Amino acid sequence: MSTADLRYPRRTLWADYVRAAIGVVLCGTPLLLLEVDPWVAFFLAGGFLLFALFLVRTALRHRTRYLLAPDSLCADGPAGTLVEWARLDRLKLSYYSTKRDRADGWMQLSIGSAGGRVVKVDSSLEGFHDIVERAARAAEAGGVSLSESTRVNLRAMSIAVADREELA
Amino acid sequence: MLRFVVRRVLLMVPTLFIISALVYFIIDLPPGDCVTSQIDELLARGDPDAHGRAIELRQLYNLDDPLWQRYLEWVAGIFRWDFGLSCQDTVPVSELIGERMVLTLVMESATIIFIWTVSFVIGVYAATHQYQMGDYVASFVGFIGLAIPNFLLALVLLYVGKVYFGLSIGGLMDAEYIGQPTSWGKIVSVAEHLIIPVVVIGTSGTAGMIRRLRANLLDELQKQYVVTGRAKGLPPLKLLIKYPLRHAINPFVADIGGLLPDVISGSVIVSVVLSLPTTGPMLLGALKTQDVNLAATFLLFVATLTVIGMLISDLALAALDPRIRFGAKSEK
Repeated sequence: MSTADLRYPRRTLWADYVRAAIGVVLCGTPLLLLEVDPWVAFFLAGGFLLFALFLVRTALRHRTRYLLAPDSLCADGPAGTLVEWARLDRLKLSYYSTKRDRADGWMQLSIGSAGGRVVKVDSSLEGFHDIVERAARAAEAGGVSLSESTRVNLRAMSIAVADREELA
Repeated sequence: MLRFVVRRVLLMVPTLFIISALVYFIIDLPPGDCVTSQIDELLARGDPDAHGRAIELRQLYNLDDPLWQRYLEWVAGIFRWDFGLSCQDTVPVSELIGERMVLTLVMESATIIFIWTVSFVIGVYAATHQYQMGDYVASFVGFIGLAIPNFLLALVLLYVGKVYFGLSIGGLMDAEYIGQPTSWGKIVSVAEHLIIPVVVIGTSGTAGMIRRLRANLLDELQKQYVVTGRAKGLPPLKLLIKYPLRHAINPFVADIGGLLPDVISGSVIVSVVLSLPTTGPMLLGALKTQDVNLAATFLLFVATLTVIGMLISDLALAALDPRIRFGAKSEK
């Protein structure tokens, strides 16, 4: 298996840039242009920080490429890190949706190895399924315990993992 | 999770904007305005200067300006905590609502804590002691709570308190603290007076929550993994807490968002019956007199609380159980 070079699609990144920009403008404009009550300013500043953080995160993702190799996943970018499959010790697959019926959501994979930094990737990343499949195999081989939510989400992606004894 | 929080918070902005616009325009829809009733009163008394006074008041409240212009001014004022003038007493809305908002927040928070605590304990007990005396009592209390309207319970308690115990249950503090600055004595007095309204408003919510938690937990307790755990000799408490309770609690958490509007709308009539100095009675008065600024401010406050409640509930649920629902379509 050769190394695959994976990135977030431009469309997804730009959608996130737009969301972050809207939030920054909505929270920042009243703070800059209007006379604002201290309590209102507190909440606006909180919102501003949240959206600014999201903008930075999106920019980091924009400049990061993910190299999926047979023995590791390397996040090559400003806040890069390496996950070795043989030493994988954390795997969490979450599903998020902003809709009441939980439709039209997205998955997020969090993996880490040997106590190192966690890599978080969303399902909009190209080759996301391959990464999850590889991580699930590594978790199974390494005996990493998986939460019930992670197992359900893996099954939803048609990735089977052997049931481990969790009740003991 | 950050992406989820950002998308969820972004959704709040148009939601609140649309609610504020709807509320403002709907309150103004009926014929006449807040000055009309005041002028009718002056005319009935035979005041010769009634029409002059009407023009004066209309200028003061900017009632001759187009509605959209008044709405935009009101929205811009929110950032300065300035909600315009109230027609009822010709004082700024922010001055009128100050203490009432705080008391409402205290009462609603206490009610929600009461609902969660009581329903959690009773719901778990009822599910783990199915078809025993405790379960029957909990179910009976639950059905009673669901069946009795809050205002009726308030009236019954008022009657029983007065006739049998000689107690005056109404109000949210002793008369000597009304209009006084915050003090330790005032806080104690409010805490003492909170018990009855919290029980009255919280009873129906508690009853519903008990039924839901009991049903969810019973479903989980009958599943194979629980039987396996029991067969392997796991301690009952550990077995209960580790999986069934965690799964059963999800709908409980999801209900947080819906609880806030229920509690707030349910408390309006109870506040009138128990003479509580909360936002409810004032909102009712503002709606009757078409005091747009005051009523819209209250309703925006309720909407904001609801939207925040929904956000907290969604965030808690996303953190607690981030799993896909089978059948739900997921995006790439």
